[in-house]
Amino acid sequence: MKIPVLVLLVSVITFSCNNKKENGSVIEKTPARTTDTINPIKQDVSINAYAPVDISPMDMCYFPADYPILKMSNKTTAPPVARVVYSRPHLQGRTLFKDILKYGEPWRLGANEATEIDLYTDATIQGKKIKAGRYVLYCIPEQDKWTIVLNSNIDSWGLHPDASKDIARFVIPSTQTQNTIEFFTIIFQKTATGADLLMAWDNVEARLPVSF
Amino acid sequence: MKKFILPLIAFQLFFTSLHAQTPLPPTDKSPMDMSYYPANYPIQKINDKITEPLAARIIYSRPQKAGRTIFGGLVKYGEVWRLGANEATEIEFYKTVRLAGKKIPRGRYTLYAIVNENKWTIIINKETDTWGSFKYDMKKDLTRTDVAVQKTDTIIESLAMAFEKSVTGFNLIIGWDNIKTIVPFTL
Repeated sequence: MKIPVLVLLVSVITFSCNNKKENGSVIEKTPARTTDTINPIKQDVSINAYAPVDISPMDMCYFPADYPILKMSNKTTAPPVARVVYSRPHLQGRTLFKDILKYGEPWRLGANEATEIDLYTDATIQGKKIKAGRYVLYCIPEQDKWTIVLNSNIDSWGLHPDASKDIARFVIPSTQTQNTIEFFTIIFQKTATGADLLMAWDNVEARLPVSF
Repeated sequence: MKKFILPLIAFQLFFTSLHAQTPLPPTDKSPMDMSYYPANYPIQKINDKITEPLAARIIYSRPQKAGRTIFGGLVKYGEVWRLGANEATEIEFYKTVRLAGKKIPRGRYTLYAIVNENKWTIIINKETDTWGSFKYDMKKDLTRTDVAVQKTDTIIESLAMAFEKSVTGFNLIIGWDNIKTIVPFTL
């Protein structure tokens, strides 16, 4: 008897969290979870009156990669170059371009609060100069290419990006990955001229080369 | 000979497994989160329902109690605590605010606390983009203030932070385990 009650409680809490933070995404119920073998997210099932834990946890990535650790361990004295703050939805048994996203429709490249990129220095993308500052990052995915958009409507929620505030758009190819990536992932990868902003989820990845 | 082969195999396995893994990072055990003042500002913004101008934002990671004694246990009394996990907890002010009368210019700061049984010392420090409190440098403090500790009725499993409106500005509420504190900012 105790177990069904617990299951019910967990699903009610999960559902109410979804309602609050994930509105607009496709999660209606809690589907069977595929296991994230590396580090499964533990749901915070206790009631947290101050701030419930998001089902799509937030994360950040820096360029240079792991900048805060480099700084802490005295391996760099230079300022950071760029940072992305984004939320990480997970597949939970769904297929990205079947159950979650549609080709040709704007996607917030995350969940919850709009994904933001901080450029601590001026950058050049596809020959276009982008001033140092903070931007919203979103995407319009197609079957084999993604349009990556920099937008000035910062501190907004990810849904319904305001295209009138677009700063720049860049079309990049998307490619298949070998492994399935359970959690949406953004990282910077160092290149000869700067870094690739690498975005990956399910079996798709796309790279936006950025020069600094 | 055997003595050399085993480490060699282990070495080989280690690097093979490194290669087999995707270079992408796993999700954190202590997930990151953010809170705005006004609360839910991003949702207010896309719904054209902004209640007052953007004043503050905090980005922090949320470790879990996981059955442990937090204050006086995991978080030692009298030591600088990073108020989170992983990347240092960042508080950003979008306008000048005051904490205990001290002016804080707009900008990004790192937030630390020194926890004691009856009071917490809240520290606003100018060193940003760093990791935890391992390289905490008192010389980079902008200001410190003491706040009272309150017991909560229920246990808070994950470290939680939220802003609420106050008469003179806004409060940052920090809660974990059976403790909460209120940090009053003046606008």
